[in-house]
Amino acid sequence: MAVRSARSDGTARPESVIGRATAERREDWTLDLYEYEAKRIFQDHGITVPPSVRITKPEELRKVHLGWPLTLKCQVLSGGRGKAGGIKFPKDLKEGEAIAKDLLALTIKGSKTESLLVEPRLSIARELYLAVVLDRAAGCPIFIASAEGGVEIESSHNVVTMPIPYPFHPFVGRELAQKLGLSGSLLTKVADVANKLYKLFESKDLDLAEINPLVITEGEDVIALDGKITVNDDSIHRQKYFEGWQEKHVSDLSHLEQRAKLADLNLVELDGNIGILCNGAGLTMATMDMVKAFGGEPGNFLDVGGGGDQKKTLTALEIVNENPKVQVILLNILGGITACDEVAGALVEFMAAHPERTMIVRLRGNNQDKAEQMLAKSGLKLFPDLEEAVKEAVAKSKVKQPVGAKA
Amino acid sequence: MILVNKDTKVIVQGATGKMGSAHTKRMIEYGTKIVGGVTPGRGGSDIHGLPVFDTVAEAVQKTGATCSVIFVPPYLALDAGYEALSGGVTLLVLITEGMPPQDTAKLVAAVKAKGAKLIGPNCPGIITPGESLIGILPGSIFKSGPVGMVSKSGTLTYEIGLALTDAGQGQSTCVGVGGDPIKGLEYPEVLQMFENDPQTEVIVLIGEIGGNAEEEAAVFIKKNIKKPVIAYIAGQTAPPGKRMGHAGAIVSGGKGTAQSKVEAFEAAGVKVAKTPNEVAQKVGEARKTLTRA
Repeated sequence: MAVRSARSDGTARPESVIGRATAERREDWTLDLYEYEAKRIFQDHGITVPPSVRITKPEELRKVHLGWPLTLKCQVLSGGRGKAGGIKFPKDLKEGEAIAKDLLALTIKGSKTESLLVEPRLSIARELYLAVVLDRAAGCPIFIASAEGGVEIESSHNVVTMPIPYPFHPFVGRELAQKLGLSGSLLTKVADVANKLYKLFESKDLDLAEINPLVITEGEDVIALDGKITVNDDSIHRQKYFEGWQEKHVSDLSHLEQRAKLADLNLVELDGNIGILCNGAGLTMATMDMVKAFGGEPGNFLDVGGGGDQKKTLTALEIVNENPKVQVILLNILGGITACDEVAGALVEFMAAHPERTMIVRLRGNNQDKAEQMLAKSGLKLFPDLEEAVKEAVAKSKVKQPVGAKA
Repeated sequence: MILVNKDTKVIVQGATGKMGSAHTKRMIEYGTKIVGGVTPGRGGSDIHGLPVFDTVAEAVQKTGATCSVIFVPPYLALDAGYEALSGGVTLLVLITEGMPPQDTAKLVAAVKAKGAKLIGPNCPGIITPGESLIGILPGSIFKSGPVGMVSKSGTLTYEIGLALTDAGQGQSTCVGVGGDPIKGLEYPEVLQMFENDPQTEVIVLIGEIGGNAEEEAAVFIKKNIKKPVIAYIAGQTAPPGKRMGHAGAIVSGGKGTAQSKVEAFEAAGVKVAKTPNEVAQKVGEARKTLTRA
C-alpha cells in the first residue's frame, strides 16, 4: 500500500488517493467532487465540518462573518492545491479581497478555480487521515487511516487498513480507532466519524470517501477539514443526488471522448492514423497491440461494448471518422452478444455516406452469413483472419493520401 | 472439463428479456440443458418451449437446476444473485455489465458464505465444447480438446479460441471470469480446477493491464500448477491513466502494467504469447513437449 502525494495543505485531490482500488480508477472518467460538495455530503450524514461560505466574487467576502484571519481555498478538481498556492490565510478584509481576486483567477494543473471556500482558521491539536475505498484485492470496502493525517501523510509509518465486512456493524469503526492508538472519548468520537463515513460511502455508491485531515481541535471536537469524494461511474444513474453532475465535472475528456461517453462508447484518443473499432475491451486492446506490433500507429481505442446494434455501431464509426488524423479504419468485430448483421447494416450505411474512406473489416461470429450477404454488394473485402486484417490496415496506413478525414 | 458438462441443469434469470431470450435460444440450440426461465410476473408462460417461473426457488424445486445464468439489468443483478443463492443454485453465471461494484462485493461475500461459485459479473460465461454453453459465447468457435482457458475478456476469448481451434487445439473448458475489478471466480481457483482436470493438458490464461491479479496468478502457478501455462496480456501498448474499456483495465501510478505481468509470468515459467496466433503456436509446442516427456 503506497501512500502517495504529500500535501502541505492537507488537501486530498486525485493523486492523493492511497488505496489500490482508487488508484486504479480512471481520473478522467469518474466523477470527482469539489471540496465544498464533499463537505456538504459529510454534513448531511452527521460529520462535523467547519462553518463555511462559498464565494465566486471577491466582494462577497464583505458579507462573510466568520472573524479574521480566514482561510480561502480554491475549489479545483486537480491535485497539489496547497503547493500551487491555492490556499491563503488573509488577516483582514482588504487583504482578503485582493487575495480572493487572485485565487479566483488561478488555474491549477489545468483545472480552473470554480469558486472559493471561506472558512475560519481552526486551532488544531492533531490531524488524522481517514478514508473508505473499495479494495480490489480484499474484494470489499476497507478503511484506510493514519494517526498522522494531513501533512506528509506520504511518509507516515502508521497507515492502518481494515476490511469492512458485510453486513456492516459499527464495532468496526471502534476497532479502527483503537488501532490508531486512540482511547477515551476520542476513540468513540473518531469511531463515530469512521462509521458515518462508511455509511455515506455505501449509500451514495462511492469509489472513495476521504477526510484529510480529520482534525481534532483543542476542545476535542472532531472535524472534517478537507474531503474528497469520487462517485462510482456504474452506479451514478441510481443516485438521484448526482443527477446532471457529470456534465459539470467531467472536464478533461476531449470533445470526441465526451461524445463517445454520452453514446455509451469507450473511446481513448491516441496519436496514430489507424482508427480502431472493436467490440469488447480485451479484443480492442489486443487489436491495438497487434497494430503496433506490425508497425502501425493506433489513432484511437474504441470499444463499442457488448450487444452494440446498428445505430450504436454507426455512431462509433462516425466518431472514429471525425478524427482528422485517422487515415484507415480497422473494424474488428467478433459477434457473440453482438450480431454481425447489425454491424454490417451500420457498415453499409456508413460507406454510402463516406465512400472515400479506407476500411479494413474483419467480421466473424453470430449471423456472419447474413452479414456477408449484406456486404457482398458493397464490394468490401472481408478478412476472416485478424492478423491479415491488421497487416493490411498497417500497409494502407503507410500509403500517402491527400485525403483527410473530411473529404 | 471443469464446472459444467452436458448434464448441468441450467435456468435463465431474465430469460424473457431481449438479450436473455436471444441467448436462451442459442444455448438450447447448442445443446445446453436449459430447464427453464425465471421472470417475475411471467410464471406459467413459456419461452422457446421451456417453462417460465416467477421465482428461482420454484424453478429449482421443479427442475432440479444447479446453475443459473443471469441476464438482468445492472441494478437488479444483486437481488437476482441473492435470489439464486437462496433458491439453492450452486453455480451463478452473471453476464450483466455495469453492476455497481459495491453490489458485486456484497454478492461475492454471500456466494463465499454459501460455498457456491460465481462467474462474473461482466463476463461472457463458460463453455465446455460439445457439452454445455452457459452465457453469450459463440459456440461454433470452440471445439472439444485438451486446452483449458481462463480469461478476463469476452471477445478476446473468442479470438484466441478461434486461433486455437483453427490450429487444431480444442478446449476442455473456457471460463470467462469477467473484466470487473471485483468478481466471483478469480484465476487461482480456475487454474487449480484445470490442474485437477484429467482432460486438460495445457492451460491458457488471458489477462489484461490493471490490478495485480495476473501477478498473483503467476505466484500461484509457480507454487501449485504443474501443467504448462501459456499467457496472453492485452493492453501492452495502452497509454497510462486511461481506462481501456473495462473498469479494471487501467495503468495508474506505474501499477498494473503489461510489463510487470509479463515479468511475473516469465519468472513463474509461464510462456507469454504476443498475438492470439502465437498462443495457439505455443500451446502446440507445449503439447509436443508433453508427448515427448
